[in-house]
Amino acid sequence: MLDIQHLRVVYGITEVLRDVTFDVPQGSIVALLGGNGSGKTTMLNTLTGMVKPAAGSIRFEGIECAGLPAKGFVQRGIVQVPQGREVWPSMSVHENLELGAVTRKDWPGIRSDMEEMFEIFPKLKPHQRKRAGALSGGEQQMVAIGRALMARPKCLLMDEPSAGLAPAIVSDMVDTILALNRRGLTILLVEQNIGVAAAVAEYAHILQNGEIAFSGAAAGLVDNPAVLGAYLGR
Amino acid sequence: MPMFCRRNVLSGLFILALGVPAFSNAYQLFVANLILIYVLLAIGLNVLVGYAGQLAFANAAMFGIGAYATALLQVHLSWPFYFAFPAGTLIAMAVGLLISLPALRLSGLYLALSTLAFAQFTQWVFSHWDNLTFGAGGFKSPPISFAPLPVSKPVGLYYLSLIVATCVTLFAQNVVASRIGRAFVSIRDGDVAAQSLGIDLLGHKALAFGISGFTAGLAGGLYSQLLNFVSPEGFDLFQMVIQKATIVVGGLGSITGSVLGAGAIIIILELLREAKGAQEIVFGGVLILFVTFFRRGIVGSLQQHFRGWDEPLHSARPIGSALPSQVRLGEKESLS
Repeated sequence: MLDIQHLRVVYGITEVLRDVTFDVPQGSIVALLGGNGSGKTTMLNTLTGMVKPAAGSIRFEGIECAGLPAKGFVQRGIVQVPQGREVWPSMSVHENLELGAVTRKDWPGIRSDMEEMFEIFPKLKPHQRKRAGALSGGEQQMVAIGRALMARPKCLLMDEPSAGLAPAIVSDMVDTILALNRRGLTILLVEQNIGVAAAVAEYAHILQNGEIAFSGAAAGLVDNPAVLGAYLGR
Repeated sequence: MPMFCRRNVLSGLFILALGVPAFSNAYQLFVANLILIYVLLAIGLNVLVGYAGQLAFANAAMFGIGAYATALLQVHLSWPFYFAFPAGTLIAMAVGLLISLPALRLSGLYLALSTLAFAQFTQWVFSHWDNLTFGAGGFKSPPISFAPLPVSKPVGLYYLSLIVATCVTLFAQNVVASRIGRAFVSIRDGDVAAQSLGIDLLGHKALAFGISGFTAGLAGGLYSQLLNFVSPEGFDLFQMVIQKATIVVGGLGSITGSVLGAGAIIIILELLREAKGAQEIVFGGVLILFVTFFRRGIVGSLQQHFRGWDEPLHSARPIGSALPSQVRLGEKESLS
């Protein structure tokens, strides 16, 4: 579904991503792991048009997308849930979700999707008129995911959804990711938490210094010496 | 609906404004007209700074361009005010947009500095392009005539300003309550999320600059008629400070706050006019007071004390500060 070939991203004179190649099959959950500074967030920002690649190809459903503006990626169905949730704190939950559908104009569809969001995240329903900034971290993560879903994505890119959350809430988050995948959503999950990645993903790729250092099945990631070598430096 | 709510207060102010010429002397009518002009300036600046979060300092220049363009079209081309006024407004908006284009990719201090440089450049042009602008001494602009309407110039100009200010207030209320207004706030509160959802950052920033240029142009045209004199010193850095003060005192991210802030600042400045040297000191003191103790301005206090004061999308934080405390508390709760 999402096919990345020989992607290269440069900031000034620094090469942040080098010849990165991997794919995200339709209906799958693929994890992209790596330590701080490995290029994960740059990867996601490139896959959503916020960073322009210096070289390489990003094909989505067979159509070349590299070089499109961010809006073009959203309209084609690739939407990111940014790192740190980034909800708009002064807007209500309802307004946050509504603005997620900013690229759409099918108002009846937007209204029915809004109802659906409160079915997927029932905890948000009593808070829909509350400022998003007044919610707990877990609830804010639900708003961030719901807001991205309002754009009707085919492929959801999630940037460290477990970061800064309590273990119980991380467990809920894992259930949410799996539930979204069961609804047919393809997910590229960027994580530092190797446990979360192993729990949800079918495939995993490990980025190290801007290059893919490991690719393989996500099951057994934690015990894999090659993974530990690449990811933890052992 | 509670008695003391945003809509009732604005309606009450409008009714009061309608009757001002009937019970005021010439000076009071002048001050009331000046307030209406600053309402226009404050609304445009609040859309740009309070809603879209763009820390720009070019509004005094846009105000000046509106005033100069309106008056110069009358003087040099003998255009009647009713053509020169909309043309001057559009020139202010167009020049503002054009000069702001390089600034669209900047933010924070860099944006502040580049727009300040533009404002200083505009001042220099006003003062030195003698053939066009009549230089530092300024020039007289021809007075507007309301004939055949049976109104004097001050009363006619006051009602014209009231019509324009009312239309702009209603327009701005609708814009900020629409998807465009929410997009402005999303850029202010988190541009990464905004961009990742397909919100056009540059387009919306340009639109915010355009709206502020448009309202400043309108204000400039009316100001040139109010004074019947245009000179560079009316559009200097202190002018920018006054305009910023109106939105800080009224409330960042609030159209009602712009109206209340403009009224409060102009009344304070006029009351202090007698005090001469104390004017700047007391004015500075009022600003420090608001920045220190009433960071959400008059509207923030009204929201706190009157339950019916519903103000959507009010700024969660003063520009340039860290994330609001609620967010930090939220993260802390989930970690515990």
